[in-house]
Formats: sequence, structure tokens, C-alpha cells
Amino acid sequence: MKRVATIVVVVAALTLLVAAVGGFTRGTARAGTSAGAQADASTVTIWVGWSARELGEFKKVVAEYDAKNPDVQVKVVGGINDDKIIAALRSGNGPDVVSSFTSSNVGLYCSSGGWVDLAPYLKQDKVDINQFPASTRYYTQYKGTRCALPLLADVYGFYYNKALFKKAGLNGPPKTLQQLTTYAKKLTVRNADGSFKVVGYDPEFGFYQNTSGAVQPLAAAKWFDANGKSSLSKDPAWSRLLTWQKNLVDYYGHDKLVRWQAGAGDEFSASHAFETGKLAMMMDGEWRVSFIAADHPDLQYATAPMPVDGTQPSLYGGGYINGTIIGIPKDGKNREAAWALVKYLTTNDHALAKFSNGIRNVPSTRTSSVSKELKPDPNFAIFSKIFLDPHSATTPITSAGAAYLDTFQSFLAQWQSGKAKNLHLGLVKVDKQIDAKLKQTGGGVP
Amino acid sequence: MTVAPAAGAHSSAPAPATPVIDRRRARKRAAWRRRGTVLLFMSPWLAGFTIFFGYPLVMSAYLSFTHYDLLNPPRWVGLANYRYLLGTDAQVWPAIRNTLWLIAFMVPLQVMFAFGVAVMLTRAKRGVGFFRTVFYLPALIPPVAATLGFVYLLNPATGPINTLLGKIGITGPLWFNDPTWAKPSLVLLSLWGIGNTMIIFLAAVLDVPQHLYESAELDGAGAMQRLRWVTLPIISPVILFALVLAVIQGLQYFTQAYVAATVAGGSASQAGSQSNLEIGYPEGSTLFYPVLLYYQGFRFFNMGYASAMAMLLLVVAFAATLLILRNSKRWVHYQGAAR
Amino acid sequence: MSVADAGIETAPIVRRRLPPAVRRRRMLVAIADHSLIIATAIIFLLPVVFIFLTSLMTNQQALSPKLWPDPFQWGNYREVFTSAPLWRWALNSFIYSSLATIGLLVSSVPVAYALARLRWRGREAAFLVVLVALMLPPQVTVVPLYVMWAKLHLVGTLWPLILPNWLGDAFAIFLLRQFFLTIPEEYLDAARVDGCGEFRILTTVVLRLAKPAIAAVALFSVLYTWNDFFLPLLYVGENPDNWVTSIGLAQFRGLHQVQWNLTMAATLLVMLPVIVLFFVAQKAFVEGITLTGVKG
Repeated sequence: MKRVATIVVVVAALTLLVAAVGGFTRGTARAGTSAGAQADASTVTIWVGWSARELGEFKKVVAEYDAKNPDVQVKVVGGINDDKIIAALRSGNGPDVVSSFTSSNVGLYCSSGGWVDLAPYLKQDKVDINQFPASTRYYTQYKGTRCALPLLADVYGFYYNKALFKKAGLNGPPKTLQQLTTYAKKLTVRNADGSFKVVGYDPEFGFYQNTSGAVQPLAAAKWFDANGKSSLSKDPAWSRLLTWQKNLVDYYGHDKLVRWQAGAGDEFSASHAFETGKLAMMMDGEWRVSFIAADHPDLQYATAPMPVDGTQPSLYGGGYINGTIIGIPKDGKNREAAWALVKYLTTNDHALAKFSNGIRNVPSTRTSSVSKELKPDPNFAIFSKIFLDPHSATTPITSAGAAYLDTFQSFLAQWQSGKAKNLHLGLVKVDKQIDAKLKQTGGGVP
Repeated sequence: MTVAPAAGAHSSAPAPATPVIDRRRARKRAAWRRRGTVLLFMSPWLAGFTIFFGYPLVMSAYLSFTHYDLLNPPRWVGLANYRYLLGTDAQVWPAIRNTLWLIAFMVPLQVMFAFGVAVMLTRAKRGVGFFRTVFYLPALIPPVAATLGFVYLLNPATGPINTLLGKIGITGPLWFNDPTWAKPSLVLLSLWGIGNTMIIFLAAVLDVPQHLYESAELDGAGAMQRLRWVTLPIISPVILFALVLAVIQGLQYFTQAYVAATVAGGSASQAGSQSNLEIGYPEGSTLFYPVLLYYQGFRFFNMGYASAMAMLLLVVAFAATLLILRNSKRWVHYQGAAR
Repeated sequence: MSVADAGIETAPIVRRRLPPAVRRRRMLVAIADHSLIIATAIIFLLPVVFIFLTSLMTNQQALSPKLWPDPFQWGNYREVFTSAPLWRWALNSFIYSSLATIGLLVSSVPVAYALARLRWRGREAAFLVVLVALMLPPQVTVVPLYVMWAKLHLVGTLWPLILPNWLGDAFAIFLLRQFFLTIPEEYLDAARVDGCGEFRILTTVVLRLAKPAIAAVALFSVLYTWNDFFLPLLYVGENPDNWVTSIGLAQFRGLHQVQWNLTMAATLLVMLPVIVLFFVAQKAFVEGITLTGVKG
């Protein structure tokens, strides 16, 4: 009798557990995807990369859309990154609308059909593609197939601490890289034990937003030549950039910089090195303006375009552009409703201005970037100017995504630590590796 | 398994010709029943083996000759993946070297350290239970948690270890942020978690018959010599077991390397800033073969190539285990009588 | 034969109190003998101590070289739960662990029994194949398996992690077979003579005898699945709703711009269930370990 009772209890418990799990996995699979939306045709699920405060701002914009369109309910899922997007494309369990922080994988999305071609929708609704500036048009398509639209842009510029500048007797921001080095040396303060109290400028790749893609516009260095082959060793601009960078790294000492970076505070936390006055100048995106306003409103700082290569002073005013892209995955269920939402988010001036005000990203259409609704902020206004500057550039799109950047980054790590001594030979090797990698993954630069 | 007695017992009944056939038939039936039982009992593993071992192996081999990103159907490329793997890919040989480094350094250190701690425990007279718990518990800690803890502890600027070292006048190294110290830091992390191996050694050492020690002592052997000539040979099967296990783990080493590299390199805290991606931070020193395989297959959408890498890993794993087992016949001493 | 046996009367033996100098020296020697183990124990405990101390600091302190929290922020532990869905992760881990372990036991016991106590041709060869499967790095089979689960639309759920355990697990089979080999044939023969089929023998005789081994295997399975990172990363990584604790912890610092002090608190909380399990089931743990090694 006892055995029967135990068996019954165990079976009951198992059934409950499996039911709970079934409910869980099915339920949560639904929650994040459009599968659950099948029953309710007016739900649109959208995946975005923002989280915390920025996600809240996005939700406010979406709430307005919901109010204007009572027959549609939009569900927002935040914290998405490209790995999740790609994984969802593979498993066929995706949302109706998806957006990504980086454009580097647009090549994969468009060429594989993972994100649907938007051309028919643009034509059907007579959307003027030229309202988006040229760079944003570039990084939302691949080889002619447009499978994404820009949703607010990210622009990189120069931040400097006015109080520290005054203390060091400096007036305006540096305009060339050589000036940047001079200023950095003046602004650096060391402690008694040799560690850094204030670092003027940290040029290490991998630190905060220092990426090879971000410094490329500063010397108009070419990634690929006319034949689509990697040209890092052929374009002298790269050597100039990297030599400048290494000289500044050596001034500090690579090991000492790494040590300082380890204690420098998380990039998106309130202990950010620039925001707490430990870093006098830095390159960062326009979103930093709202982070500072939220966490350290008393910080005396200003923004400007990044200093450029001394031999090409006319480049001054431009910067690196990238941006959030938004598209419709092929497994989404509500294509029409999804497109309506995408169109609203990307072309409606009011929505763009409101969102831009909220997270301080640059509005991605010409009209919205001069909209009267934008909250005036001298520090932020610089980025809108950089955005429209003709010298601004973005990273090339390949069908293999950003794998080539990873190859370059591996070399840069060796370069700045001093292990790779011959710059030219190293770059030649990287070129060969990038070409081989692109050939192996079957995709080149358009 | 014997035939059910019932069949044979009744064969002394009247009809004289049928009993032999009956018995044969009965035995055949019993044999089939036996095979049926075996099949039934083995069925879960048979199904599991086919689905999760046999099928993937065959598929992996097939995919290794294709270019496949899961969004488009596989495209046959012949030996291109293997040529790239063994010739052109600049990340593969460093990854192989790193994994070999693990096998050459981390494995022996783990085994020796586990053995040393076990021997230390056998010599302790007070509080053995307490010490044993202290040494065993870290092995239970989830690897992610332990790695996070160590990355924080060994933070070059603000971590407690470097702070303590600073107090006694030593400038601590950059640990997980220094290419020469990153792997040793991982080794330290693994030594912290040798509890499992340590317990196995402890049980084995305690199992060594006391009389062997006594006769050695009578012959004039000191403590060290008793260790070398009595303990080690007797527990050599256990040493072999620990070695094989450690090598297998070394060939699959992923979690600690991945977590340490992403957290120390800072890319764990950004929701996908791909151009900052530097795998195997710092400077590729923590890029082990399984980590590279993961990135190739599941970050760079290169599944055909990842399958080629997997095939190579399979061959190496096989060869390594065979090598150790064959080599072991020379120094492993199985106690025939004691078994 | 002792003196007392011989019936000779002797003076009662009194333990003489050693002079203090000798006692002190003996104690110093004992400490010196144990100094190595004490030092090693301190080194082993140090990480946990530091993690604990850091979990009680403010974020500023956690980022500074300070070693002692001042003041003690016990509220961090509460904040951890509000800043990340720890309970959900724990629940997912629990579902994964329990379902996988149950399936593993149900499917591995018959297999191990067949390999240990049933006689059939090819038994040794089959066992060798099981051993080979043990050696296999998971990375070798992971790509096609991922493709298979993706085609079944199960990626993003816990099922790719749970289901394989229901079709036997090489390690569990190995351990259980080693144990079953030690069951005396007489027990089984007695049951067979009574007319029991193998299945009944398994469920009545063998299971009852094998309780400690089964407990050990269950423990191993729970431990392994609770600590598993690579497979959950692959299959559940894209779906935060189904994250298990190991993934959640790895991503912890990236979510909501969370700081080191909270990360350390979360780390300790993730360590806790396993430590508690150990103290509750200590005997089963040690038994399980010896099962693997000594008879290996």
C-alpha cells in the first residue's frame, strides 16, 4: 500500500513538474517571440538592444504608438544583442521586428534573407529613402538589398573635462592628433607611488569605445581597396594612425595603462572614469551626454569633433558613424503590422525626436535631426553636426559580419603591448589573413 | 542465465520423442526472452547513442566538408575547410598551442597538487574532517561563480590579492590582464577546485595496506622513500585515472577561459559591441581550442568550419587517451592479489 | 599475553602529567606539523572570504583597494534580487537539474544492470563503446546537434538540455555498472530461482541494494547540471527568460550596469545551494567519489 502511495505521489509530482516546465518553456518561448501572437493577430513583438533607463525611454515612444493605433499591441523585449538575433534566426523563433546596436551583421541578414527585403514596402508606402543620410543608407543594406532601416544613429566625438583643462591652462579642444598627445601629457597626473591619478587620454584599443573602426575616419584610412582586398598595409594613413597611437601608449607604459584600466570603472556605470574625473579626455558616442546628465550632472565638460590626422586637417568635423538598425525577420508572423511599426519608428519626426531626447542618440533622418522638438543641448548639438559632416564614415559591411575586425583587433593587441615590433610586416600579415577569412566565409565587401 | 527450471522438470512425462524438441524449443524461447530483456534494458542507451553520438559524429564529418551558416543550406566545399584549418587560419595554431600548454602544465600540476593535499590530510592528526571539507568545497562551486570571483580577486588595480601583495611591498602582476599571467591565473583557479581528485587520492592512499609501510620501515626506508616506493606504485591506477580525466577536461576546457576573457577584457559588460571583440583576451593567451570552436561555430556563423575543427579535436582526444593508456602499462601497477 | 593475564599483581598505571616545557614543545611541534595544512586551508578559504567581504561593500569601495567593507551593506543581498531575476534563474536551473537527473537515473540503471549482470555476447564491446563516449569532448557533436534542435524549434527552451539525459548518460552508466559488479551473484540467483524476471530483480533486489550508489549518481548529476555552462549557453543563451544560474551570473555585470559588489553577492548566492547540498548529503558525496576512483 505504501509503495502504491509513493508511486502515486511521485507520478503526481512529475506530472506537475512537467506541466510547469511545459508551461514555462512554451510560455516563455512565446513571450519573446511572435509565436504567441498567432492567437492574437494584433500583437507585434519587437526586440531591441536597450536596457534599463534607455529601454524605459523606448517604451515611452512605443506607448504613444500604441495609443495612436488601438488595434495593435506592441510588446517590447530589451537587452538583445546580435548573438541572440542570429540564434533566433537560426531557430526560427523570432519576433516580428528586431533592432540591433551594430550594423556589422547587416551583410549576413540581407544576403541570407534572414531579414526581409524592405524595398517592396518602401515602394508601396512611397517612403523617400533619401531622407536618410548617405552613411546610414550604406549600413542598412548589402549589395543592393535593403533589409534594414536606420533607427537613430550613433556618432563618435570627443569629450573633455573643462575643469581639468582650466587647471592645466588649456583653452579649447585639440584639433589634431599631435595636439591631443601634447594635451594628454599635460593633463596626466601621477600619484606618489607612480600610479595614475588622472590619465589625459587613454589610446588603448579595447578600452571603452576605442575601436579600430572608430579611429579610421580620423585619418580617412581605407579598409579595402578597389578590388575588395584588405588595404591596411597599403594605405599609409593606417601606419600614421597606429604609430601615433603607439607613441602615446609608450608614454604611459602599456602595463601601467592596463593596470589603471582594470580599476577604471565599468563603462556604463556611475563610476565611469571620465565621469568621475579620472580621465581628462576621451572618444565616446553621443549617448554619453545623457548618461552624464543622469549620473553626474555637475561634471564640467564639453564636446567637440575628434582630433584628426595632422597631415589632413580638413578632415576635422567628421567622425565615426554607426547606428541602431531595425528590420523584419523572415519568421515574424505579423508582417504588415511589423512594417507599420518600423515605418513609424524610423520616419516619424515626432517619434524620432522624442526618442532622441530620451536617450540622446542622433535622429536618423534629415528632417528629424533639425526638428524643433529636440531639446537644445550644446554638448549634444555637436553630434548632429558630425552626423551630417561629409567626412564621417562607417565600417564596411561584409557578408561575414565583423569577423575581419576581430582579426585586426588581435594584431592591435600585440601592437600596443609591444610584442609586434614591425608595423608594416604585421599589417601585411593581417591583410592576408582578412582576405583569406573573407574568402573562407564566402563573402566580400560590396 | 539458467533456463527456467519449469520447462525441463516436466519433460519426464509420457511422450518420449517430444521432450528433446521441447527442451530445445524451450531453450530457444528462453534465449529469445533473454535477448529481448537485454534489448529492453539497453534500449535507452542504444537510442541515446545513436541520436546523440552516432548521428552527430556522422553529420559533423559531413558538415566539415561544407560551408554552412544555418541560414542557407550547406554548400559543398570539399577540403577547403581543412586546408584553411591546417594552413591559413592564424588563430588555430595558437589555440592548439594554448590547449597543449594546458595538457603539459595544468594537468600534471593538478594531479600533483591533489596528491600532495591528500597526503597532507593523511598526516594531519587533528581536525581532519574540517580540513577535508575546506579542501573539497571549492570543487563544488559553479565554475562561472568561481571564475568571476577570481577575476575580481586578481584585478590588477583594485583586487584584494594585489592589495595584500602591495602591503608587503610586492607589485602584483596583471594576472588575467597580462598575456604571460593569464594562463597561470587559470591554473590557480583550477588548483583551487581539485577537491574531487583530492578525495579520490585520499581514499586510495588510506587504502594502502599498512603492513607494506611497516616492512618498508623495517628495511630502513624514511618517510619520503616510503612515499616513493610504497604509496605511489600502489595507487598508480588511481593516478592514471586522475591523469586521463584531467586530460579529457583539458581538451574540453571552455567555461573558465570564456568567462575570464570576457569579464577581464571588459566585453562582458557591453551588449554586443562587436568591433571591440577580442577573443582570447589578453592577446589571445586564453584562446583555447574549444573556445575558438565556439566562436567560429556560434558567433561567426562558420558551422562547416567549426565541424572541421571538431573532427580534428575528436582525432586528438582519441589519440591522447590511447597514448596515455598504452604508456600506462609501463608504470601502472595493478595489485593482482588485492583485486 | 600481557602481564595482567599472567595474574601477576602490578601497581595501577597512573598517567604522569608532563612538565609544561614538554607540553609546550609538543604543542609547538603539533602546530609546526600542521602549519602546512593550516596555511593551505587559509589559502583555500581566502577567496570565499574576500568574495563575502566584497559583497558587503558599496560599489565605490569594491572598486577601490579597500579590503574591509565600511559600512556593511547587508542591503546588497536584497538589491541583487531586485536588479536581476535570480529566482527565475534558480527555478530554471532547478527544472533542468531535477528533470535531467530523474531521466538519467531511470534510463541509466537498466543499461548499467545489463552491462554488469546480464550475460550476453558483445557486452564487453558495448561497455568499451560507453567508455569511448565518456572521452568525447562535447564540442565534437555540438554543431549537428544544435542544427537538429533548431530544426525542431526547441532552441531557446530547456529541452535540448534535459532530453538527452533520458536516453542514458555515459558517466552514470559507468558508475552504476561498477557498483552493480559488486552485488553478489547469489542474491540475483536466489531471486531467479524464485521465478523473478530480470525486470523484477532489478526493481526489487538491485535497487534496494544500490541506494547509496544511486544517491551518489543523482548527486553528481545535480551538481553537473547546476554548474553546467557551455550547453546552456548554446541552447538557452538567446532567451533570457530561460536562463539558468550559470548564464545569468556570467551576464550579470552586463545587465542594468550592475557593479562588482552586487556581482560578488550574486556569486555567493549561486554557490550556496551546492554547499548546503553537500552538508546535507555528505556521506553520499564521498561514497560517490570513491566509486569512481578506487575501483576505476
